[in-house]
Amino acid sequence: MNALVEQQRSFMARLLDEERMLPADWNGRHAAGLAIYRNNYRTATVEALRSTFERTQRLVGESAFRRAATHHVIVNPPSSWTLDMAGEGFDETCKQLFAKDPEVAEIAWLEWAMHRAFVARDAAPLSAQAFTRICASVVDTNWEDLRLVFAPGLALAPVCHDLSRLWPSLSGAGEEPTILSLETPHHALVWRQGERPVFVLKPDIEAHMLAALENGATWGDTCATLVGELGEDTAVIEAGQMLGHWLSQGLICGIR
Amino acid sequence: MSDIAPFHGFGLGLRRAHYADFLEGAVPVDFVEVISENYMVEGGKPLRVLEQVRAKHPVILHGVSMSIGSAHGLDEDYLARLKALAGLIEPLWVSDHLCWTRTSAHNSHDLLPLPLTNGALDIVCDNIDRAQEALGRAMLLENPSSYMTFPDDEMTEWDFLAAVVRRTGCYLLLDVNNVYVSAQNHGFDTTEYIAGLPLERVRQIHLAGHAPGAIVIDTHDREVCAEVWALYAEAVALCGPVATMLERDDRIPALPELLAELDRARTIAATDLEVPA
Repeated sequence: MNALVEQQRSFMARLLDEERMLPADWNGRHAAGLAIYRNNYRTATVEALRSTFERTQRLVGESAFRRAATHHVIVNPPSSWTLDMAGEGFDETCKQLFAKDPEVAEIAWLEWAMHRAFVARDAAPLSAQAFTRICASVVDTNWEDLRLVFAPGLALAPVCHDLSRLWPSLSGAGEEPTILSLETPHHALVWRQGERPVFVLKPDIEAHMLAALENGATWGDTCATLVGELGEDTAVIEAGQMLGHWLSQGLICGIR
Repeated sequence: MSDIAPFHGFGLGLRRAHYADFLEGAVPVDFVEVISENYMVEGGKPLRVLEQVRAKHPVILHGVSMSIGSAHGLDEDYLARLKALAGLIEPLWVSDHLCWTRTSAHNSHDLLPLPLTNGALDIVCDNIDRAQEALGRAMLLENPSSYMTFPDDEMTEWDFLAAVVRRTGCYLLLDVNNVYVSAQNHGFDTTEYIAGLPLERVRQIHLAGHAPGAIVIDTHDREVCAEVWALYAEAVALCGPVATMLERDDRIPALPELLAELDRARTIAATDLEVPA
Protein backbone atom coordinates (compact mmCIF):
# COMPACT_ATOMS: atom_id res chain seq x y z
CA MET A 1 0.00 0.00 0.00
CA ASN A 2 1.43 3.39 -0.91
CA ALA A 3 1.82 6.09 1.73
CA LEU A 4 -0.76 8.36 0.10
CA VAL A 5 -3.51 5.74 0.51
CA GLU A 6 -3.05 5.74 4.27
CA GLN A 7 -2.63 9.52 4.39
CA GLN A 8 -5.88 10.10 2.49
CA ARG A 9 -7.75 7.52 4.55
CA SER A 10 -6.64 9.23 7.75
CA PHE A 11 -7.48 12.68 6.39
CA MET A 12 -10.95 11.53 5.35
CA ALA A 13 -11.53 9.93 8.77
CA ARG A 14 -10.63 13.24 10.46
CA LEU A 15 -12.80 15.15 8.03
CA LEU A 16 -15.81 12.98 8.93
CA ASP A 17 -15.11 12.78 12.66
CA GLU A 18 -13.86 15.86 14.47
CA GLU A 19 -13.14 13.84 17.60
CA ARG A 20 -10.23 12.05 15.93
CA MET A 21 -6.72 12.87 17.13
CA LEU A 22 -4.60 14.96 14.78
CA PRO A 23 -1.16 13.74 13.62
CA ALA A 24 1.66 14.59 16.02
CA ASP A 25 3.45 16.77 13.46
CA TRP A 26 0.40 18.98 12.79
CA ASN A 27 0.16 22.42 14.35
CA GLY A 28 -2.65 24.91 14.86
CA ARG A 29 -2.57 26.03 11.22
CA HIS A 30 -3.14 22.43 10.10
CA ALA A 31 -6.04 22.05 12.52
CA ALA A 32 -7.59 25.31 11.33
CA GLY A 33 -7.21 24.23 7.69
CA LEU A 34 -8.81 20.86 8.35
CA ALA A 35 -11.70 22.60 10.12
CA ILE A 36 -12.37 24.65 6.97
CA TYR A 37 -12.42 21.54 4.79
CA ARG A 38 -14.77 19.85 7.29
CA ASN A 39 -17.09 22.83 7.29
CA ASN A 40 -17.07 22.93 3.47
CA TYR A 41 -17.94 19.23 3.37
CA ARG A 42 -20.78 19.46 5.88
CA THR A 43 -22.20 22.63 4.38
CA ALA A 44 -22.16 21.25 0.84
CA THR A 45 -23.81 17.96 1.75
CA VAL A 46 -26.47 19.49 3.99
CA GLU A 47 -27.21 22.11 1.33
CA ALA A 48 -27.55 19.33 -1.26
CA LEU A 49 -30.15 17.67 0.95
CA ARG A 50 -31.91 20.98 1.51
CA SER A 51 -32.12 21.47 -2.24
CA THR A 52 -33.50 17.96 -2.87
CA PHE A 53 -35.92 17.89 0.08
CA GLU A 54 -37.47 21.37 0.03
CA ARG A 55 -40.93 20.13 0.93
CA THR A 56 -39.66 17.89 3.72
CA GLN A 57 -37.95 20.94 5.19
CA ARG A 58 -41.17 22.97 5.00
CA LEU A 59 -43.02 20.14 6.72
CA VAL A 60 -40.67 19.74 9.70
CA GLY A 61 -39.24 23.26 9.92
CA GLU A 62 -35.74 24.51 9.24
CA SER A 63 -33.99 23.59 12.49
CA ALA A 64 -35.45 20.07 12.68
CA PHE A 65 -34.51 19.55 9.05
CA ARG A 66 -30.95 20.72 9.64
CA ARG A 67 -30.57 18.29 12.56
CA ALA A 68 -31.98 15.44 10.46
CA ALA A 69 -29.79 16.26 7.46
CA THR A 70 -26.67 16.55 9.62
CA HIS A 71 -27.52 13.24 11.30
CA HIS A 72 -28.03 11.61 7.89
CA VAL A 73 -24.68 12.87 6.57
CA ILE A 74 -22.85 11.68 9.69
CA VAL A 75 -24.45 8.23 9.63
CA ASN A 76 -24.37 7.90 5.82
CA PRO A 77 -21.35 9.81 4.50
CA PRO A 78 -21.62 10.22 0.72
CA SER A 79 -19.85 7.63 -1.41
CA SER A 80 -21.01 8.49 -4.92
CA TRP A 81 -19.05 10.78 -7.26
CA THR A 82 -22.15 12.95 -7.57
CA LEU A 83 -23.47 15.09 -4.75
CA ASP A 84 -26.93 14.49 -6.21
CA MET A 85 -26.89 11.07 -4.51
CA ALA A 86 -26.21 12.44 -1.01
CA GLY A 87 -29.93 12.22 -0.23
CA GLU A 88 -30.14 8.48 -0.88
CA GLY A 89 -31.80 6.82 2.10
CA PHE A 90 -32.89 10.12 3.68
CA ASP A 91 -36.48 8.83 3.79
CA GLU A 92 -35.25 5.97 6.00
CA THR A 93 -33.47 8.49 8.22
CA CYS A 94 -36.74 10.45 8.46
CA LYS A 95 -38.61 7.23 9.29
CA GLN A 96 -36.38 6.81 12.35
CA LEU A 97 -36.15 10.45 13.42
CA PHE A 98 -39.82 11.36 12.85
CA ALA A 99 -41.35 8.01 13.85
CA LYS A 100 -44.49 9.67 15.25
CA ASP A 101 -45.07 11.62 12.04
CA PRO A 102 -44.90 9.01 9.25
CA GLU A 103 -45.97 11.58 6.64
CA VAL A 104 -42.46 13.06 6.89
CA ALA A 105 -40.78 9.91 5.58
CA GLU A 106 -43.48 9.61 2.89
CA ILE A 107 -42.82 13.12 1.60
CA ALA A 108 -39.06 12.55 1.77
CA TRP A 109 -39.43 9.35 -0.26
CA LEU A 110 -41.58 11.18 -2.80
CA GLU A 111 -39.10 14.03 -3.18
CA TRP A 112 -36.25 11.56 -3.64
CA ALA A 113 -38.18 9.56 -6.27
CA MET A 114 -39.04 12.77 -8.15
CA HIS A 115 -35.40 13.88 -7.90
CA ARG A 116 -34.21 10.62 -9.49
CA ALA A 117 -36.95 10.56 -12.14
CA PHE A 118 -35.90 14.09 -13.20
CA VAL A 119 -32.64 12.76 -14.65
CA ALA A 120 -33.74 9.24 -15.56
CA ARG A 121 -33.00 7.90 -19.02
CA ASP A 122 -35.11 9.36 -21.81
CA ALA A 123 -37.72 7.05 -23.34
CA ALA A 124 -40.76 7.86 -25.45
CA PRO A 125 -44.03 6.50 -24.06
CA LEU A 126 -46.25 4.36 -26.26
CA SER A 127 -49.62 5.80 -27.18
CA ALA A 128 -52.64 3.50 -27.03
CA GLN A 129 -52.64 3.45 -30.84
CA ALA A 130 -48.95 2.57 -31.04
CA PHE A 131 -49.38 -0.12 -28.42
CA THR A 132 -52.27 -1.64 -30.36
CA ARG A 133 -50.33 -1.40 -33.61
CA ILE A 134 -47.28 -3.14 -32.17
CA CYS A 135 -49.40 -5.89 -30.67
CA ALA A 136 -51.29 -6.33 -33.95
CA SER A 137 -48.07 -6.45 -35.95
CA VAL A 138 -46.91 -9.44 -34.01
CA VAL A 139 -49.18 -12.02 -35.60
CA ASP A 140 -48.53 -14.58 -32.94
CA THR A 141 -48.81 -12.19 -30.02
CA ASN A 142 -49.41 -14.28 -27.02
CA TRP A 143 -50.81 -11.97 -24.37
CA GLU A 144 -49.92 -14.49 -21.73
CA ASP A 145 -46.19 -14.01 -22.41
CA LEU A 146 -46.25 -10.26 -22.93
CA ARG A 147 -43.90 -8.19 -20.78
CA LEU A 148 -44.19 -4.42 -20.44
CA VAL A 149 -41.34 -1.92 -20.42
CA PHE A 150 -42.12 1.00 -18.14
CA ALA A 151 -40.83 4.57 -18.10
CA PRO A 152 -37.27 4.83 -16.70
CA GLY A 153 -37.27 6.28 -13.20
CA LEU A 154 -40.60 4.73 -12.29
CA ALA A 155 -40.81 4.19 -8.52
CA LEU A 156 -43.48 2.86 -6.16
CA ALA A 157 -43.84 3.00 -2.38
CA PRO A 158 -46.67 2.31 0.08
CA VAL A 159 -48.16 5.41 1.71
CA CYS A 160 -50.77 6.06 4.39
CA HIS A 161 -51.31 9.78 3.78
CA ASP A 162 -52.95 11.67 0.98
CA LEU A 163 -49.83 12.98 -0.71
CA SER A 164 -51.89 14.46 -3.52
CA ARG A 165 -53.15 16.99 -0.92
CA LEU A 166 -49.98 17.25 1.17
CA TRP A 167 -47.58 17.84 -1.77
CA PRO A 168 -49.20 21.03 -3.10
CA SER A 169 -49.73 22.39 0.40
CA LEU A 170 -45.93 22.33 0.83
CA SER A 171 -45.16 24.18 -2.37
CA GLY A 172 -44.65 27.57 -0.75
CA ALA A 173 -43.41 28.91 2.54
CA GLY A 174 -46.05 29.87 5.10
CA GLU A 175 -48.80 27.52 3.94
CA GLU A 176 -50.37 25.13 6.44
CA PRO A 177 -49.57 21.53 5.47
CA THR A 178 -52.63 19.41 4.62
CA ILE A 179 -51.99 16.15 6.47
CA LEU A 180 -54.80 13.64 5.87
CA SER A 181 -54.67 9.90 6.45
CA LEU A 182 -55.94 7.68 3.64
CA GLU A 183 -58.90 5.45 4.42
CA THR A 184 -57.27 2.55 2.61
CA PRO A 185 -53.56 1.95 1.96
CA HIS A 186 -52.26 3.17 -1.38
CA HIS A 187 -48.97 3.38 -3.22
CA ALA A 188 -47.38 6.53 -4.56
CA LEU A 189 -46.25 6.05 -8.15
CA VAL A 190 -43.59 8.36 -9.58
CA TRP A 191 -42.42 8.67 -13.16
CA ARG A 192 -41.50 11.40 -15.62
CA GLN A 193 -43.78 12.87 -18.29
CA GLY A 194 -41.54 14.62 -20.78
CA GLU A 195 -39.17 16.67 -18.63
CA ARG A 196 -41.47 16.81 -15.61
CA PRO A 197 -41.54 14.25 -12.78
CA VAL A 198 -45.11 13.48 -11.71
CA PHE A 199 -46.86 11.22 -9.22
CA VAL A 200 -50.25 9.70 -8.57
CA LEU A 201 -51.69 7.53 -5.84
CA LYS A 202 -52.65 4.01 -6.89
CA PRO A 203 -54.73 1.43 -5.02
CA ASP A 204 -52.60 -1.38 -3.63
CA ILE A 205 -53.97 -3.98 -6.03
CA GLU A 206 -52.90 -1.94 -9.07
CA ALA A 207 -49.56 -1.07 -7.48
CA HIS A 208 -48.79 -4.74 -6.82
CA MET A 209 -49.56 -5.53 -10.45
CA LEU A 210 -47.32 -2.68 -11.64
CA ALA A 211 -44.51 -3.77 -9.34
CA ALA A 212 -44.70 -7.36 -10.54
CA LEU A 213 -44.66 -6.31 -14.21
CA GLU A 214 -41.80 -3.85 -13.55
CA ASN A 215 -39.86 -6.72 -12.02
CA GLY A 216 -40.27 -8.76 -15.21
CA ALA A 217 -43.42 -10.79 -14.61
CA THR A 218 -45.53 -11.60 -17.68
CA TRP A 219 -48.95 -10.11 -18.30
CA GLY A 220 -50.37 -13.63 -17.98
CA ASP A 221 -48.82 -14.25 -14.57
CA THR A 222 -49.98 -10.94 -13.14
CA CYS A 223 -53.47 -11.39 -14.53
CA ALA A 224 -53.61 -14.85 -12.95
CA THR A 225 -52.81 -13.26 -9.60
CA LEU A 226 -55.53 -10.68 -10.20
CA VAL A 227 -58.04 -13.43 -11.01
CA GLY A 228 -57.13 -15.07 -7.71
CA GLU A 229 -57.94 -11.87 -5.85
CA LEU A 230 -60.98 -10.57 -7.75
CA GLY A 231 -62.46 -13.50 -9.65
CA GLU A 232 -62.24 -13.88 -13.41
CA ASP A 233 -64.97 -11.53 -14.60
CA THR A 234 -63.89 -8.56 -12.46
CA ALA A 235 -60.20 -9.24 -13.05
CA VAL A 236 -60.58 -9.09 -16.82
CA ILE A 237 -62.33 -5.72 -16.61
CA GLU A 238 -59.85 -4.34 -14.03
CA ALA A 239 -56.80 -5.49 -16.00
CA GLY A 240 -58.10 -3.83 -19.16
CA GLN A 241 -58.79 -0.60 -17.32
CA MET A 242 -55.36 -0.58 -15.69
CA LEU A 243 -53.65 -1.09 -19.03
CA GLY A 244 -55.67 1.77 -20.49
CA HIS A 245 -54.70 4.05 -17.60
CA TRP A 246 -51.03 3.20 -17.87
CA LEU A 247 -51.02 3.93 -21.58
CA SER A 248 -52.87 7.21 -21.19
CA GLN A 249 -50.51 8.27 -18.37
CA GLY A 250 -47.43 7.55 -20.49
CA LEU A 251 -46.14 4.81 -18.21
CA ILE A 252 -45.47 2.19 -20.89
CA CYS A 253 -42.53 2.66 -23.23
CA GLY A 254 -42.38 -0.73 -24.90
CA ILE A 255 -43.23 -4.40 -24.89
CA ARG A 256 -40.98 -7.40 -25.02
CA MET B 1 -2.44 12.84 -27.19
CA SER B 2 -3.94 15.55 -29.39
CA ASP B 3 -3.01 19.18 -28.76
CA ILE B 4 -5.49 21.72 -27.43
CA ALA B 5 -5.47 24.81 -29.60
CA PRO B 6 -5.56 28.19 -27.82
CA PHE B 7 -8.99 29.82 -27.65
CA HIS B 8 -9.23 33.51 -26.93
CA GLY B 9 -12.53 34.58 -25.43
CA PHE B 10 -14.51 35.48 -22.34
CA GLY B 11 -17.13 33.28 -20.75
CA LEU B 12 -19.40 32.59 -17.80
CA GLY B 13 -20.53 29.51 -15.96
CA LEU B 14 -23.96 28.14 -16.84
CA ARG B 15 -25.94 28.27 -13.60
CA ARG B 16 -29.61 27.41 -13.12
CA ALA B 17 -30.45 31.02 -12.23
CA HIS B 18 -29.46 32.04 -15.77
CA TYR B 19 -30.91 29.13 -17.77
CA ALA B 20 -33.67 31.29 -19.22
CA ASP B 21 -31.23 34.05 -20.21
CA PHE B 22 -29.07 31.58 -22.12
CA LEU B 23 -31.98 29.70 -23.69
CA GLU B 24 -34.11 32.67 -24.70
CA GLY B 25 -31.66 35.47 -25.36
CA ALA B 26 -28.37 36.21 -27.04
CA VAL B 27 -25.89 36.36 -24.14
CA PRO B 28 -22.68 38.15 -25.21
CA VAL B 29 -20.14 35.52 -24.16
CA ASP B 30 -17.60 33.64 -26.27
CA PHE B 31 -18.09 30.36 -24.42
CA VAL B 32 -19.97 28.80 -21.55
CA GLU B 33 -18.44 26.63 -18.84
CA VAL B 34 -20.53 23.98 -17.10
CA ILE B 35 -19.89 21.76 -14.10
CA SER B 36 -19.50 18.39 -15.83
CA GLU B 37 -21.08 16.35 -13.03
CA ASN B 38 -24.36 18.26 -13.29
CA TYR B 39 -24.81 16.86 -16.79
CA MET B 40 -23.34 13.36 -16.38
CA VAL B 41 -26.88 12.04 -16.05
CA GLU B 42 -28.97 9.50 -17.93
CA GLY B 43 -31.41 11.98 -19.45
CA GLY B 44 -34.00 14.61 -18.69
CA LYS B 45 -34.06 18.40 -18.71
CA PRO B 46 -30.42 19.18 -17.76
CA LEU B 47 -29.09 17.52 -20.90
CA ARG B 48 -31.73 19.18 -23.09
CA VAL B 49 -30.76 22.59 -21.69
CA LEU B 50 -27.07 21.92 -22.26
CA GLU B 51 -27.68 20.78 -25.83
CA GLN B 52 -29.63 23.97 -26.55
CA VAL B 53 -26.91 26.15 -25.02
CA ARG B 54 -24.28 24.22 -26.96
CA ALA B 55 -26.12 25.05 -30.17
CA LYS B 56 -25.40 28.73 -29.42
CA HIS B 57 -22.02 28.69 -27.67
CA PRO B 58 -18.82 26.65 -27.37
CA VAL B 59 -18.88 24.77 -24.07
CA ILE B 60 -16.14 23.83 -21.59
CA LEU B 61 -16.66 20.83 -19.29
CA HIS B 62 -15.24 21.68 -15.87
CA GLY B 63 -15.25 18.86 -13.34
CA VAL B 64 -15.06 18.81 -9.55
CA SER B 65 -15.14 15.07 -8.85
CA MET B 66 -12.54 13.30 -10.98
CA SER B 67 -10.35 13.12 -7.85
CA ILE B 68 -7.19 13.29 -9.91
CA GLY B 69 -5.04 13.01 -6.81
CA SER B 70 -6.80 9.95 -5.44
CA ALA B 71 -4.37 7.29 -4.26
CA HIS B 72 -7.03 4.71 -5.13
CA GLY B 73 -6.96 5.61 -8.81
CA LEU B 74 -9.82 6.94 -10.85
CA ASP B 75 -13.46 5.84 -10.95
CA GLU B 76 -13.93 4.10 -14.30
CA ASP B 77 -17.70 4.66 -14.27
CA TYR B 78 -17.06 8.38 -13.79
CA LEU B 79 -14.62 8.43 -16.72
CA ALA B 80 -17.07 6.57 -18.96
CA ARG B 81 -19.85 9.03 -18.17
CA LEU B 82 -17.58 12.02 -18.72
CA LYS B 83 -16.43 10.59 -22.03
CA ALA B 84 -20.03 10.09 -23.11
CA LEU B 85 -20.88 13.68 -22.19
CA ALA B 86 -17.83 14.99 -24.04
CA GLY B 87 -18.89 12.95 -27.08
CA LEU B 88 -22.33 14.53 -26.94
CA ILE B 89 -21.25 18.13 -26.31
CA GLU B 90 -17.91 18.29 -28.14
CA PRO B 91 -16.42 20.75 -25.62
CA LEU B 92 -13.52 23.08 -26.19
CA TRP B 93 -11.83 21.02 -23.50
CA VAL B 94 -12.32 19.09 -20.27
CA SER B 95 -10.79 20.27 -16.99
CA ASP B 96 -10.55 19.33 -13.32
CA HIS B 97 -8.52 20.23 -10.23
CA LEU B 98 -5.24 19.29 -8.65
CA CYS B 99 -6.83 17.73 -5.58
CA TRP B 100 -8.50 14.58 -4.32
CA THR B 101 -12.11 14.19 -3.24
CA ARG B 102 -12.62 10.57 -2.26
CA THR B 103 -11.26 7.41 -0.70
CA SER B 104 -12.47 3.94 -1.63
CA ALA B 105 -15.32 4.37 0.87
CA HIS B 106 -16.35 8.01 0.98
CA ASN B 107 -16.58 11.13 -1.12
CA SER B 108 -16.06 14.54 0.49
CA HIS B 109 -17.34 16.55 -2.49
CA ASP B 110 -14.68 19.07 -1.59
CA LEU B 111 -11.34 19.77 -3.25
CA LEU B 112 -9.01 18.29 -0.63
CA PRO B 113 -5.30 19.17 -0.51
CA LEU B 114 -2.52 16.91 -1.72
CA PRO B 115 0.87 16.65 -0.08
CA LEU B 116 3.36 18.06 -2.58
CA THR B 117 5.60 15.00 -2.55
CA ASN B 118 7.22 12.91 -5.24
CA GLY B 119 4.95 10.03 -4.28
CA ALA B 120 1.84 12.15 -4.82
CA LEU B 121 3.31 13.46 -8.08
CA ASP B 122 3.65 9.90 -9.40
CA ILE B 123 0.02 9.15 -8.51
CA VAL B 124 -1.33 12.35 -10.05
CA CYS B 125 0.62 11.71 -13.25
CA ASP B 126 -0.60 8.09 -13.44
CA ASN B 127 -4.18 9.27 -12.93
CA ILE B 128 -3.94 12.02 -15.55
CA ASP B 129 -2.43 9.55 -18.01
CA ARG B 130 -5.38 7.22 -17.34
CA ALA B 131 -7.95 10.03 -17.64
CA GLN B 132 -6.51 11.34 -20.90
CA GLU B 133 -6.35 7.81 -22.30
CA ALA B 134 -9.95 7.05 -21.29
CA LEU B 135 -11.26 10.39 -22.57
CA GLY B 136 -9.20 10.22 -25.75
CA ARG B 137 -8.15 13.83 -25.31
CA ALA B 138 -5.74 16.00 -23.35
CA MET B 139 -7.22 17.76 -20.35
CA LEU B 140 -6.63 20.93 -18.36
CA LEU B 141 -5.59 20.80 -14.71
CA GLU B 142 -6.55 23.67 -12.39
CA ASN B 143 -4.53 24.91 -9.42
CA PRO B 144 -6.79 24.76 -6.33
CA SER B 145 -7.24 27.06 -3.38
CA SER B 146 -5.84 25.43 -0.28
CA TYR B 147 -6.18 25.98 3.43
CA MET B 148 -3.31 23.86 4.66
CA THR B 149 0.01 22.43 3.54
CA PHE B 150 1.67 19.24 4.78
CA PRO B 151 4.81 18.83 6.88
CA ASP B 152 6.19 16.36 4.32
CA ASP B 153 5.86 18.68 1.29
CA GLU B 154 8.90 18.35 -0.95
CA MET B 155 8.25 21.02 -3.58
CA THR B 156 6.22 24.11 -4.33
CA GLU B 157 2.81 23.84 -5.96
CA TRP B 158 4.04 25.53 -9.13
CA ASP B 159 6.94 23.05 -9.38
CA PHE B 160 4.48 20.22 -8.82
CA LEU B 161 2.19 21.51 -11.60
CA ALA B 162 5.11 22.08 -13.97
CA ALA B 163 6.25 18.49 -13.41
CA VAL B 164 2.73 17.17 -14.04
CA VAL B 165 2.53 19.08 -17.33
CA ARG B 166 5.97 17.90 -18.40
CA ARG B 167 5.24 14.24 -17.63
CA THR B 168 1.64 13.94 -18.84
CA GLY B 169 1.29 16.52 -21.62
CA CYS B 170 -1.79 18.00 -19.96
CA TYR B 171 -2.58 21.71 -20.06
CA LEU B 172 -3.27 24.21 -17.30
CA LEU B 173 -6.26 26.15 -16.12
CA LEU B 174 -4.77 29.00 -14.12
CA ASP B 175 -7.15 30.23 -11.43
CA VAL B 176 -5.67 33.55 -10.37
CA ASN B 177 -8.06 33.84 -7.43
CA ASN B 178 -6.86 30.46 -6.19
CA VAL B 179 -3.26 31.61 -6.52
CA TYR B 180 -4.11 34.69 -4.47
CA VAL B 181 -6.06 32.74 -1.83
CA SER B 182 -3.33 30.12 -1.36
CA ALA B 183 -0.61 32.80 -1.35
CA GLN B 184 -2.43 34.61 1.46
CA ASN B 185 -2.83 31.37 3.39
CA HIS B 186 0.68 29.98 2.88
CA GLY B 187 2.79 33.08 2.42
CA PHE B 188 4.28 32.52 -1.04
CA ASP B 189 4.75 35.15 -3.73
CA THR B 190 2.07 35.19 -6.42
CA THR B 191 4.43 36.49 -9.12
CA GLU B 192 6.91 33.71 -8.37
CA TYR B 193 4.05 31.18 -8.55
CA ILE B 194 2.85 32.29 -11.97
CA ALA B 195 6.35 32.71 -13.39
CA GLY B 196 7.16 29.16 -12.26
CA LEU B 197 4.42 27.61 -14.38
CA PRO B 198 4.88 26.47 -17.98
CA LEU B 199 2.74 29.38 -19.20
CA GLU B 200 2.70 28.20 -22.82
CA ARG B 201 0.45 25.36 -21.57
CA VAL B 202 -2.15 27.65 -19.99
CA ARG B 203 -5.36 27.54 -22.01
CA GLN B 204 -7.76 29.16 -19.57
CA ILE B 205 -7.84 31.59 -16.64
CA HIS B 206 -10.46 31.55 -13.89
CA LEU B 207 -11.52 34.64 -11.98
CA ALA B 208 -13.60 34.57 -8.78
CA GLY B 209 -14.24 36.22 -5.44
CA HIS B 210 -13.16 35.02 -2.00
CA ALA B 211 -13.88 35.69 1.68
CA PRO B 212 -11.06 37.45 3.53
CA GLY B 213 -10.07 36.37 7.03
CA ALA B 214 -7.33 34.77 9.09
CA ILE B 215 -7.58 32.00 6.53
CA VAL B 216 -8.84 33.29 3.18
CA ILE B 217 -11.60 31.10 1.74
CA ASP B 218 -12.43 30.57 -1.92
CA THR B 219 -16.17 31.21 -1.84
CA HIS B 220 -17.17 32.24 -5.40
CA ASP B 221 -19.88 34.34 -3.78
CA ARG B 222 -18.78 37.91 -4.52
CA GLU B 223 -17.09 40.06 -7.09
CA VAL B 224 -13.41 39.81 -7.94
CA CYS B 225 -11.24 41.97 -5.65
CA ALA B 226 -8.67 44.55 -6.79
CA GLU B 227 -5.68 42.35 -5.91
CA VAL B 228 -7.00 39.49 -8.05
CA TRP B 229 -7.68 41.85 -10.95
CA ALA B 230 -4.07 42.99 -10.71
CA LEU B 231 -2.90 39.39 -10.72
CA TYR B 232 -5.11 38.71 -13.72
CA ALA B 233 -3.47 41.58 -15.61
CA GLU B 234 -0.08 40.12 -14.75
CA ALA B 235 -1.12 36.63 -15.88
CA VAL B 236 -2.70 37.75 -19.14
CA ALA B 237 0.41 39.72 -20.07
CA LEU B 238 2.48 36.56 -19.57
CA CYS B 239 0.09 33.95 -21.01
CA GLY B 240 -1.10 35.83 -24.07
CA PRO B 241 -4.61 35.43 -25.45
CA VAL B 242 -6.38 32.60 -23.61
CA ALA B 243 -9.93 31.90 -22.47
CA THR B 244 -11.05 33.83 -19.38
CA MET B 245 -13.97 32.66 -17.28
CA LEU B 246 -15.68 34.40 -14.36
CA GLU B 247 -16.92 31.96 -11.69
CA ARG B 248 -19.88 32.68 -9.43
CA ASP B 249 -21.50 29.79 -7.54
CA ASP B 250 -23.22 31.42 -4.60
CA ARG B 251 -25.22 34.64 -4.13
CA ILE B 252 -25.49 34.64 -7.91
CA PRO B 253 -26.49 38.09 -9.21
CA ALA B 254 -28.54 38.91 -12.29
CA LEU B 255 -26.75 38.26 -15.56
CA PRO B 256 -26.06 41.93 -16.47
CA GLU B 257 -23.97 42.32 -13.31
CA LEU B 258 -21.80 39.34 -14.23
CA LEU B 259 -21.49 40.53 -17.83
CA ALA B 260 -20.29 43.92 -16.59
CA GLU B 261 -17.64 42.20 -14.48
CA LEU B 262 -16.65 40.10 -17.48
CA ASP B 263 -16.29 43.31 -19.51
CA ARG B 264 -13.69 44.46 -17.01
CA ALA B 265 -11.70 41.31 -17.84
CA ARG B 266 -12.04 42.11 -21.55
CA THR B 267 -10.73 45.63 -20.94
CA ILE B 268 -7.75 44.45 -18.88
CA ALA B 269 -6.89 41.76 -21.41
CA ALA B 270 -7.19 44.18 -24.32
CA THR B 271 -4.83 46.60 -22.56
CA ASP B 272 -2.30 43.97 -21.59
CA LEU B 273 -2.29 42.27 -24.96
CA GLU B 274 -1.72 45.47 -26.92
CA VAL B 275 1.36 45.25 -29.05
CA PRO B 276 3.62 48.22 -28.25
CA ALA B 277 4.07 50.66 -31.16
